[in-house]
Amino acid sequence: MRNPTLLAFVFVAPAMSVLLLILGWPLVSAIILSLQDVRSVGSPGAWIGLDNYAKLLADPSLWRATGMSIAWVAANAVLQTALAMIAALVLSQNFPGVRIARTWIILTWIVPTVVVVIIWRWLFSTSGGMINPLIVQSGLSARPIGFFSTPWMAFATLVFINSWRWFPFVTLMLLAGMTRIPGDLYEAARIDGASAWKRFSRITWPLLKPTLGVLSVVGTLLSFNVFDIIWLMTAGGPAGGTRTLPVLIYETAFKGYRLSEAATMSVIATVLLLTFALLTVRSLDRQEERE
Amino acid sequence: MRRSLGLNILLAIAGIFLLVLVVLPFWWVFSSSFKLPQEIISRTPTFFPHSFTVQHYAGLLTRSAYATYVVNSLIVAIASTLITLLLAVPAAYAFFRLEFPGRQALYRIILLAYAFPSIVILIPLFGMFAKLGIIDTLPALIGVNVAFALPFSIWMLRSFLASVPREIEEAAVIDGAPPTVILRRIMIPLIAPGIASVAIFAFISSWTEYVFASVLIISDAKRTVPVGFSGIIGQYQIDWGLLLAGAGLAVLPVIILFAFVGRWFVSGLTEGAVK
Amino acid sequence: MTKTSLSILAFASMLLSSTAYAAPVEVTLWHMEQPPHRVARVQELIDAFNASHPEIVVKQEPQSWGEVYAKVPAALAAGAGPDMLFAIPDFAPILKKTGALTSVADFVAELDKKHKFIPSTVQSYSYDGGVWAIPLYNMSMNLWYRKSDLEKAGLKVPATWEEWEAAAKALSQGGAYGVGVPANKQLYTDQTVYSLMVNGGATEIYNEDGTLRFDNPETVGAFEFYTKLNKLSPPDSTSWTWGEAEACFVSKSCGMIMQFSVISTYDTQGGGEPSDLGVAAIPTEEAGAEANTIAYANAVMLLSKDDAKTKASQEFIAWLLEPENYGKFLNMEPGLFMPVTEDGAKAETFWNDPMVEKYKSQIETVIANSKNGRLFGFTSGRTFPSIAAISAQNLIAETLQDIVVAGTDAKGAVAQGQARMVEASK
Repeated sequence: MRNPTLLAFVFVAPAMSVLLLILGWPLVSAIILSLQDVRSVGSPGAWIGLDNYAKLLADPSLWRATGMSIAWVAANAVLQTALAMIAALVLSQNFPGVRIARTWIILTWIVPTVVVVIIWRWLFSTSGGMINPLIVQSGLSARPIGFFSTPWMAFATLVFINSWRWFPFVTLMLLAGMTRIPGDLYEAARIDGASAWKRFSRITWPLLKPTLGVLSVVGTLLSFNVFDIIWLMTAGGPAGGTRTLPVLIYETAFKGYRLSEAATMSVIATVLLLTFALLTVRSLDRQEERE
Repeated sequence: MRRSLGLNILLAIAGIFLLVLVVLPFWWVFSSSFKLPQEIISRTPTFFPHSFTVQHYAGLLTRSAYATYVVNSLIVAIASTLITLLLAVPAAYAFFRLEFPGRQALYRIILLAYAFPSIVILIPLFGMFAKLGIIDTLPALIGVNVAFALPFSIWMLRSFLASVPREIEEAAVIDGAPPTVILRRIMIPLIAPGIASVAIFAFISSWTEYVFASVLIISDAKRTVPVGFSGIIGQYQIDWGLLLAGAGLAVLPVIILFAFVGRWFVSGLTEGAVK
Repeated sequence: MTKTSLSILAFASMLLSSTAYAAPVEVTLWHMEQPPHRVARVQELIDAFNASHPEIVVKQEPQSWGEVYAKVPAALAAGAGPDMLFAIPDFAPILKKTGALTSVADFVAELDKKHKFIPSTVQSYSYDGGVWAIPLYNMSMNLWYRKSDLEKAGLKVPATWEEWEAAAKALSQGGAYGVGVPANKQLYTDQTVYSLMVNGGATEIYNEDGTLRFDNPETVGAFEFYTKLNKLSPPDSTSWTWGEAEACFVSKSCGMIMQFSVISTYDTQGGGEPSDLGVAAIPTEEAGAEANTIAYANAVMLLSKDDAKTKASQEFIAWLLEPENYGKFLNMEPGLFMPVTEDGAKAETFWNDPMVEKYKSQIETVIANSKNGRLFGFTSGRTFPSIAAISAQNLIAETLQDIVVAGTDAKGAVAQGQARMVEASK
């Protein structure tokens, strides 16, 4: 009987080495950076220990950006889960064309971010876009709407665009999760005369919880760190209305030429996220054990 | 399986809503990419094109290395997906089934990969890759994409493994099968939906990755589609026609790929979902 | 060995070594002119140069502006950087700080004798006792309009801010916007706002000693006027870059815009008759004042520490500036890139291009305007490195957004802007 530890090592080592090499070592580099005072890339920096941390932890703009990131995560989670739930429920039914629909629901997700940005910037623009003329013609608003003209509008519009882009992924996860729900449960419920809503709330929702659990942790982390779509669309504007933490970090590193400060912010963000993730995972594990 | 009228109406409304949400923007983009420039930017947009031209597509294909970008993207995406699966499946099984010291701790550490903003490792990674001499090479991108896809993949697969009824596994163990055989013959087929979803995730993440591809690749010959596309559209002017044609072409290869392979993946994923 | 055979041997070996194959010097050029037709034109020129200079091989790698701020310092630090890099003035101080640049003052002086540079273009790169790049092409901000629009409204071309506002109001009819000025936290907005500052007496944002004087009554006045113009602009101006403004103008949704050049878009996307396209200098606050504008003297920086590569790069640049090649170079984007040299401005290869011929009068106006070009932070003959962070973070644009988006009054916003600039300079 093979040594299980050796076998485990063989199974796990390749994955772990990739992670350590490509993510682990640069992360350590970043921590070292945060203890120095490096300005622009390639320039030397003196050791200043925890000074960056002291300065940034007291900086309101860091906390404002963190708050904005949390709002971003929450808004996206709500919208994406809602859209995905609707899509998953629709796609798990039988109707003509459902197989095609199941394949092509991913359409919005396979689009590279730059293309998403181009598409929506064009659609939402006030001179030449498609959406504003519809709004004005249908009488919903007398004048064209500036979808990016105020901080709130820009934030909401970005949440919509990001959710539009990501909800197919969540839909797929939910559908995959639904495959694990035994069909007999539904049959039994139907025989008992349970309504559709009852079937959903008593069977589908509870049994999807493990999938939703994984999704909520990973989804939060991925959502928090979304950078490219916000940066390409509004660069954190207008007037800082969409300046989430990743945007602030990028600006600090590559526009403000303060690499060490950006590294410090990243470490602080990592600590926060890690705490959240570990706590959630622990409670999920406990739930799993209970079942 | 009969549905009530009310449910049918609800289903129809939801279905149409989704259709409009997903398809309409693409219709607008696709149909406009064939319009003459004046019609594209006109103040009163048209749902059906009034003009027809292929000049934007012609311009895009003849004046840029678009085909090269597609090939590069495909190589990187396919390689990343295969390697991710190759590494994640055994790892997920080990985390789930095999007892070994540090298992719990290691599993939690994987979480770390998503817990920090990836931009911050950009510069140290660039330096490290430069020392290894792999800047401006596709393997560098493959490595990065695999690293980003692994944690989620391991997680998802583990969670799928957890839902396989214990009895099936135990039967195999009683029969004296070693873990590798159990994994290969029994577990993998049973978690096919999980593998499919992880493969799609890895492929799409790699296909759409922009930040690292834009910095780690220097020469035009190695560029991937997202980076190549953003370069073509230009910084100081916006040629909407070119842009929209580019948007279409940026998505086309994946659409074609999915037209062939997608059904297989997605049906494997959702077969059991229909109740 | 006899003396004869020795000397024959020596002579033979000398012959051999001099005819021995000398590998050509390879130099790479990075630039940010990515649109395919520009890349193609550059390649044409490179091929011609490589053919006539077999001992040198030039290669181009177009990059995107978005990546370049991160990529170049990282590549240089890792020893994987280019030998030549096109750049704009506010990028040079960053690289100079990392020690990547060596002064090219002598080389520039040489070229100046031959071609006569427009002084302001060299000035943008001259500070700290050196010249850090060789000017290559110029871009300046102008006011674009349709002559027929103004005729119909019975107006003459606005030359003062008062006239400008009146014209904008008059042209705002039938769903169109009289003027389109951006309010995005982005470089284009920095440029348009500064174009007004420069015509309202607020050119200098630094004092002689390097402290910031952004906060002053002239700056506030400029911002106040800009806000008035922005109120007459489309509501999505907060997400505008150069492309959106052009699209607005060309589609007749905007009556006037500020832009480096709209010629290419106007021509290819059906903006109207060439003769109807009007261009003027940016209006000044006071009547009769000399019009100024913002000008970006794009230049090329030499980054190699290898002597052979440096010499090869210099040869390439000198070749590019020769009138018979220079015109072709500038016309990679006809109507946008203006000559930085006097003989370039007269070069046949420049004026022979069909697009340039079509819009001759407009381009002549643009060239004339660009003589008075300035760039914030590079105006007094002294350059302060902090301008790099101020420019990269679009602090001028951010100040505008405070007014237009957050509703702060101009005075307060400018004071906030100054505070941010001071912070960024630390």
